[in-house]
Amino acid sequence: MGTEESVLSTAGIPSVDDDAGHRYFVRLNYSERVQHTVFAVCFIVLVITGFMLKIPDSIVKSFGTAGEIVFSYRSILHRTAGTIMILVGVYHFYYLIFKRAGRRWLFDMLPRLKDLMDMRDNFLYYINLKEEPPEFDRFCYKHKIEYGALIAGTTIVSATGLILWSQYRWSKFIVDIATLVHGMEAILACLAIMIWHLYEIHFRPHKSPLDNTWLTGVISEEEMKEEYALQYKKIMNDPELQKIYIKK
Amino acid sequence: MLDVIGAKYKQRRTALKAGRLNAFTSCFFSVLFLLLSCGMAFGTNAVSDTENCLLCHRYPSIGRYDESGTKRVFYVNDKKFAASIHGKLKCKNCHVSLDQIPHTDVKKVDCATKCHIKEPSTNQEFSHINMIQKFEASVHGSGTAQKPKPFPEDLPTCKYCHANRMYSPLEGMWGNSTALSNETLTRCIGCHTKESWAENFYAHFTHRMRRRRTQAEVVKLCTSCHEDGHKMARHGLESIETYKDTFHWNLVRYGVKNAPDCISCHVPVGYSTHDLRPRTDPVSPLYIFNRIKTCSNQGGLQVCHPGATAEFATGRVHAYGTKAQMMSGNKISNFDNKEMASVLKRAEADTSEAEVFHYKVLQLIKLFYKILIGGTVLFMGFHQWLDFLRTKRRQKQSKE
Repeated sequence: MGTEESVLSTAGIPSVDDDAGHRYFVRLNYSERVQHTVFAVCFIVLVITGFMLKIPDSIVKSFGTAGEIVFSYRSILHRTAGTIMILVGVYHFYYLIFKRAGRRWLFDMLPRLKDLMDMRDNFLYYINLKEEPPEFDRFCYKHKIEYGALIAGTTIVSATGLILWSQYRWSKFIVDIATLVHGMEAILACLAIMIWHLYEIHFRPHKSPLDNTWLTGVISEEEMKEEYALQYKKIMNDPELQKIYIKK
Repeated sequence: MLDVIGAKYKQRRTALKAGRLNAFTSCFFSVLFLLLSCGMAFGTNAVSDTENCLLCHRYPSIGRYDESGTKRVFYVNDKKFAASIHGKLKCKNCHVSLDQIPHTDVKKVDCATKCHIKEPSTNQEFSHINMIQKFEASVHGSGTAQKPKPFPEDLPTCKYCHANRMYSPLEGMWGNSTALSNETLTRCIGCHTKESWAENFYAHFTHRMRRRRTQAEVVKLCTSCHEDGHKMARHGLESIETYKDTFHWNLVRYGVKNAPDCISCHVPVGYSTHDLRPRTDPVSPLYIFNRIKTCSNQGGLQVCHPGATAEFATGRVHAYGTKAQMMSGNKISNFDNKEMASVLKRAEADTSEAEVFHYKVLQLIKLFYKILIGGTVLFMGFHQWLDFLRTKRRQKQSKE
């Protein structure tokens, strides 16, 4: 597994002169980027193969005699992607507990009172009652909400998915609940990803058309100052943090 | 005078002309009748039409509009008929009477009629009477003389499900059907030298080795009545539209082989479609103690849920329909009072408290998710919209 040090070389970003002020700040290390990519691919596969059960009959009819093959691939893909997603989830917990970078992630991700204040101040900033947005640390309230939803959602769909996979061992009532919750959670997750996450990486004016942090793992110094001012200050005052987060 | 002679002459000529025409017409139709009476002059030898019904019924345009304005076609395609299940029967085996022409003595075909064919296992005259007796005792039967079922017009008849289907090649078993029939028939014809007899016997046998309808066709046939909420309500039943919410239906609509349609569970191996019983009857495959076998291993080619537990198997597949909705206090808006009363009476007798409770719990979960999804989408949408506007504004400010 790569470390933070390997980020720049893998991302193919040339080193720049420190004096020019073009430092890059690490947002996602190699492991996190791999986790994210595998998870994202699984998510897309799961959404497509899962909602194939809900599409109208007219579309199903268009498959014609190939319907059976389509359905068998659908089933295999859905279960494979589901299994990989669960394994990524399990690995992520291992990463949070047993890796130093993971423990830092967990510590920075813990909800704090400041998040509530930040949310209030950010809304005030949005409606022009404040000139400047609050200074965010490494993870702001938006990230924490999304991360929390991700953990909860993945746990629920995984658990209900496993129940549906081994349905004949459960009572019909449990299977009915699992079916309902699995489907509803999928709708919630899709909408949340579309509105919350895709906006953040595609449609925020300065990120459009695509925020490539998921590939490079780093952001520029200007963006760091703008988006994560508190973390920027912390890093600049702490040589230890500079070693971890700054890539030249 | 000349005028009178001229008029008489004209009259005579006209009369002569008409006479000749009449003679010609009679001759033409006589010849035509003779040719038609020869029977096979225009046709093929597909059916041994000893009753000479094809004399008229071979013409595709033969038919009439009945009193209700429905077009009735009386055409018989003899080749198709010969290749059908009943192809070896004579017309009058089923269409009894019909001794007068035009047919003023028509009786409806009764499938219980003995059709003068010897049934080889008993060597007695064949009839569908045993199937009809089973059918009459089943849920689809018309009830007893003391207690006839209401709305008999709603009940299916033989012809509702059965057309006189044509024999078609055996498919989907042991590879290519033509190769299979060639090989098998060669062996049959070795002893049974009359080829047409051997082919017919082979078709009769293999026809029953495969499904008559695809799974989707079975669902379409059953739901043609059972999805009609009003028709079902008249008999105190609920429509089975919740079947289409199940994973079973997804398998069927994608055309998966051996997908569970209606008869997979209601008529498993060892049961008869004609003998459908209510689920409270111990001989029904859906009787509570027969469920594990029905879900797990029916003893046939198909094994669906091999490890099915009692908890799993005793659940209803297409549950939470009209009855559970009514029992949990929901109003079914498109039913009239009579229909409501009819369903409610049956629902009180046969809908378990557990199903109603489960329905309520599921409704609560659904409501919770609806609120959660709605709230989340609204919050997120509002937040991101504000973010978008503010970021744009900030970009504009920084440019200035």
